[in-house]
Amino acid sequence: MALTAGAPESHSRPLPSVWTSADAAGTMQEALEALDTYKKKDLTKVVVRFKAVGNAPIMKQNFYKISASNRFQAVIQFLRKELGWKAGDPLFTYINLAFSPAPDDTVANLFKSFSTDGHLIVNYSTTAAWG
Amino acid sequence: MSTYAPRHAPSAFSTPASTTLFRRLTWEGTVPLEIRVASAELPANSDRGLECYYIQAARVSYLPLLVPEIKRFLSDVVFDEAAAQGIKEEDWWFESEDGAVFRWHWPIGLIYDNHTITMSTRPNTSAAPSGPLRLILHLASPPSEKLLLSPGSEACKQAFMGQLKEADFIRWGNTKRITGLRKAEQDGLWEGIKEHNFDEYWRVASKVTPTTSPARSQSPPPPSSVSMHTRPPSADPGSNGAPDRDGAYSVRSVPVRIYLPDGPVMQDLVPPLLEDGSINTLSRFLDTHLPLLFPADRAPLAYALIQGVLAPPEAEMAWLGACLAGADGWVNICVGLLREGIPRF
Repeated sequence: MALTAGAPESHSRPLPSVWTSADAAGTMQEALEALDTYKKKDLTKVVVRFKAVGNAPIMKQNFYKISASNRFQAVIQFLRKELGWKAGDPLFTYINLAFSPAPDDTVANLFKSFSTDGHLIVNYSTTAAWG
Repeated sequence: MSTYAPRHAPSAFSTPASTTLFRRLTWEGTVPLEIRVASAELPANSDRGLECYYIQAARVSYLPLLVPEIKRFLSDVVFDEAAAQGIKEEDWWFESEDGAVFRWHWPIGLIYDNHTITMSTRPNTSAAPSGPLRLILHLASPPSEKLLLSPGSEACKQAFMGQLKEADFIRWGNTKRITGLRKAEQDGLWEGIKEHNFDEYWRVASKVTPTTSPARSQSPPPPSSVSMHTRPPSADPGSNGAPDRDGAYSVRSVPVRIYLPDGPVMQDLVPPLLEDGSINTLSRFLDTHLPLLFPADRAPLAYALIQGVLAPPEAEMAWLGACLAGADGWVNICVGLLREGIPRF
């Protein structure tokens, strides 16, 4: 039984040998440097395409290049500004007419998983559209 | 293991017993939390010394669902009557000891594991946490731009449904399975989490979550068999030959996120089978996405926690998606750094 889900977390238990490092003392620095590499901001830009749903106003320009490292929250704020929405005005945003992503999802992650023809399609609506 | 035997016949969902077993283990997983009211914000006349609340919280639950219980404790034991009446739980928020805001919409198990891996990078901490995770409860001035979500269980439920649909879209390229549920069924998923009712949740969730095929009930396979897994399960002798269109190995991609200490969160398409037809395993996935931490040719510099469990490298991604995903459908892989040989848990 390799897996022990549900075991109390407080138990002291060694790692399965397959995960342990043979030369651990020297590896911490290397590991921290690896983390720094993965933490570097993704400077690429991706195309986000906004599409109005229902009664939402249509935007004159609906293609924007947005830094991939942005959170989806930043996309929502950008959209609100472009639409001239005031705080409290309802705005619902969806990807591919299907779901609302978590606001801390990054544009890079969403683009990798959900882009269509090189665009990330963001639908917006003034009423809840897909529950 | 006998104490964890599934109490309900898996045949009701046509879900194999081993899958039900791991789903139950995931569901019953808990983490210890210590919730302390920020001392500067304790109302006058509070009973100091008691302002700490300990709870063994379900991994699949969410912080907003703990608020009523914490509020009851504080009102009954800590605050005087006047202060208790003035409590506005809409203003509550949780913070870590080093000042990070705890997100409302992260499952509690993820919050705990993410803290564990973050500690793995701190040189001055002696070991991974062995006690409860400490949360500071603030009673006022929520930093809404960092919390990202309104307080309360309704906003959390909406975020949860969003995550479920995103997972559905990742698997099948559409959300028909979730949107095809009746309203009462959708609500039942959230109620199941709220009431911590395995059967209520899985009665509905089994309609949207792919299962491993009964013919492959021996998951995860023994390490020595990795090389044999070069064919899709539908080609295995013993299965009836018809590919299982709804099965875990038929999805377009498994909903997976990688969490690294202090961020970032990484997400990509994770096909259950690789281009050469071999089965995608955790080690191949990590080699591909984090080659600097999991080099293919030597010992890894890091480890992978899934639902608080040190996941074996040969675990199959599709199996993880069917058995160790959270209630929102996502497999959260928290990657911590190995230190001094063998970290202790």
